Amino acid sequence: MAKPKVASDWLAGCAGCHMSLLDIDERIAQLVELVDLRATPITDLKEPDKDGVTVGILEGGINNTYNEEVAKKMRSRCKILVALGDCAVFGGVPAMRNFFTLEDSLNRAYIETPSTDASGKVPSSPELAVPTRVRAIHEVVPVDVFIPGCPPDADIIFFALSELAQGRIPKLEHKNLMWN
Amino acid sequence: MVNLTIDGKNIEVKAGTTVLNAARAAGIEIPTLCDHPQLTPYGGCRLCLVEVEGARTLQPSCTLPVNNEMKVHTDTQKVRDARKFVLSMIFSERNHFCPYCQVSGGDCELQNAAYAEDMTHWPLQPNWKPFPVDASHPFIIMENNRCILCRRCVRACGELVGNYTLGFEERGAESALVADLGLPLGESSCVGCGTCVQICPTGALIDRWSAYQGKETEVDSTKTICQGCSIGCGLDVLTRDNRLVRIEGNWDDPISGGLLCEVGRFNPMDDNRERVLTPMLKKDGSSKAATWDDALAAVKEQLKSAKGKAAAVVSTRLSVEAMDAFKQVCQAAGIEKFFSTEGSMITGPATKAASLLGKPFETKLDALNYADTYLVVGEDITKDHQVMSFFMKRRLPDGAKLIHIGKAESGFKNFADAVLSVPAGKETAFLGDLKGLLSNDSAVEKVAGTYGLDAALLAESVKILKAGEKPAVIMGSRYDFSDEIAAYNAALNIANDLKATFISTKGNINSLAAAQMDLDNTVDLSGVELVVLAAGDEVFTQQFMGKFEKVPTMVVFSSYVSPLTASADVVLPVTNWLEQAGHFLNLDGRLLSAKAALTAPEGIYSNADAFAKLAESMDVKLSSAWESALNAATAVVVD
Repeated sequence: MAKPKVASDWLAGCAGCHMSLLDIDERIAQLVELVDLRATPITDLKEPDKDGVTVGILEGGINNTYNEEVAKKMRSRCKILVALGDCAVFGGVPAMRNFFTLEDSLNRAYIETPSTDASGKVPSSPELAVPTRVRAIHEVVPVDVFIPGCPPDADIIFFALSELAQGRIPKLEHKNLMWN
Repeated sequence: MVNLTIDGKNIEVKAGTTVLNAARAAGIEIPTLCDHPQLTPYGGCRLCLVEVEGARTLQPSCTLPVNNEMKVHTDTQKVRDARKFVLSMIFSERNHFCPYCQVSGGDCELQNAAYAEDMTHWPLQPNWKPFPVDASHPFIIMENNRCILCRRCVRACGELVGNYTLGFEERGAESALVADLGLPLGESSCVGCGTCVQICPTGALIDRWSAYQGKETEVDSTKTICQGCSIGCGLDVLTRDNRLVRIEGNWDDPISGGLLCEVGRFNPMDDNRERVLTPMLKKDGSSKAATWDDALAAVKEQLKSAKGKAAAVVSTRLSVEAMDAFKQVCQAAGIEKFFSTEGSMITGPATKAASLLGKPFETKLDALNYADTYLVVGEDITKDHQVMSFFMKRRLPDGAKLIHIGKAESGFKNFADAVLSVPAGKETAFLGDLKGLLSNDSAVEKVAGTYGLDAALLAESVKILKAGEKPAVIMGSRYDFSDEIAAYNAALNIANDLKATFISTKGNINSLAAAQMDLDNTVDLSGVELVVLAAGDEVFTQQFMGKFEKVPTMVVFSSYVSPLTASADVVLPVTNWLEQAGHFLNLDGRLLSAKAALTAPEGIYSNADAFAKLAESMDVKLSSAWESALNAATAVVVD
């Protein structure tokens, strides 16, 4: 039987969850014995396979229309979707932007920052993704597995991935469950 | 007795017990959020829902009384699903993003409840209108965005403290915790006791000082006693890396039941006084650092040359062990005059009365929890001995009456049935006249006129005192009575006439021990040429320090720098209350044991050890029989 295919991507996140994934250190060798690691932001392939993968992993929340597209594409191309990290599961730190209006946030970022000179302006190219309210992934597409943590511990990520590699849905409980 | 079954276990409990408590008695834990052992059950959070056979819906076990042959199930799929649902509803209402909250990681009961249910995410994402944060109070921050509306704080502020500052305004999603009728907390009737902060299950009420300093799992905890006043409330002192993080009340404490006031909980966090770090010797007009050996040698010299003209002054914050060692070593040096930094204010008269009577007669603080009428004189107990005022204030909604003989701006003014503002200095005479009115009230108008009181108010007060079935008379220790013994006896006479329980507040944490060891006398330094002052960690008023201006030579044992240490000939550094262990005799006459929560810097000794070192340098052998020194005096409070 072919090894299950795993793909991942990151959205409105800091990449910390992927760094935590890499913190499984030499256990990654064990992992790739069991799974076929396909597209990830840190390997060569950049999109999940058109004919689908078994496990899709998303880090980061939904912050603009591009994130929505990526999330929908991943959902449609994987059997089991994993939300990795607090941003994907809850909205995380970027969700603090929801307490302010979009206009205020964009002005702050592109015009009012101390490092911006008088020619600062909010980008408005039609090619850019449109910012939206910051959302958790499961507000946009159904999610099958939630791994909270900021970032989740490498041991917890390894546990979840090895369960998935062996065809089981990981059940996080007791000391594996840690939102803080 | 009632027989019921919980999770298949047969249990027998008293009628009126709630299902929650019955389960606990049987060793079955049902999760709760709005419940607290010190408060009456509320049934607001619905986390404690259980299945009761025959009932139409799930029932909240915290408010449900047991019934014979009731069959309860606390761990079915239906119950577990309901708990997850309750938690997801609570999470959806407000800001429960854990990463930016200081109670996250062990101190948050909401987070712990979610972990216990193996929740990995929020089924419903939150959506709420942000509330403003109230940071107007010097110690307490109110963050409505993290509130779960459990009302523990409201109930504690009312039921435990009797202050009734906190309440809720608006309804539904707009429900907000407010102080008084919507005032900023810092401008409200809040007394800063911090009970609400300690009892809040989430990070909605936090104290500024300890925020982000250390989670429950990262701090060390020491059980000790507060030394802010004579009550000695039980404390949990949280420290981290030898630094004070937070002071909490011990809910299991037999004296205070977990309550603290701002003096005990918050004032110690705000202490910025400079420490005395080494012994100091005055040479040619300026103080220079010296070794302990040199400093003690200097003290020995001073004591020798001042023989007969020396006096000892002891802080009533010192432990019994320290006081006893100090007394012994001073006596061995020929000192016969002993004074305390507090000067006998109403603690001396209590011990004198006990020894005259030959037996104890005052009652314990707990008597206030059963009294129905309070007469308070000699102190504004809402400022000093505050926890005592909580015991009284919380009985008022049940019909208890309170009369305060004190200043018009008394802290009791919004609570008392009468504040009789007798002019200062006339309290003792007034008590005598009041005693007369209790047996014959015909002279009410005349007495009112003599003291400038409203006649109707005085008549009403007399009526209240006579009608009380369980009266309590509280004699304070902070007014400036010219004759303390007369004042004390005047209050005691009224208590006897009313057949009331009688409690005197007895000053500082160890004033009673000082009085029983004959150390509690008012400072009188006429003819004294050398004073040995065991100042401990006290804060002194200008008035007190002025008493030493004419004394030529001073030897001061002190934790902190002050004008007294600056001008002293010899200064010896000692530990403060958090850094030393010892025993204290509180106002109940209980011998309480304090433990050290912090380690003092190198070279600083505890008071008891410092006096032992002095004794050693003088070849004086100290006995450690301080207990018998205490027991030699007649106890003041009935056991």
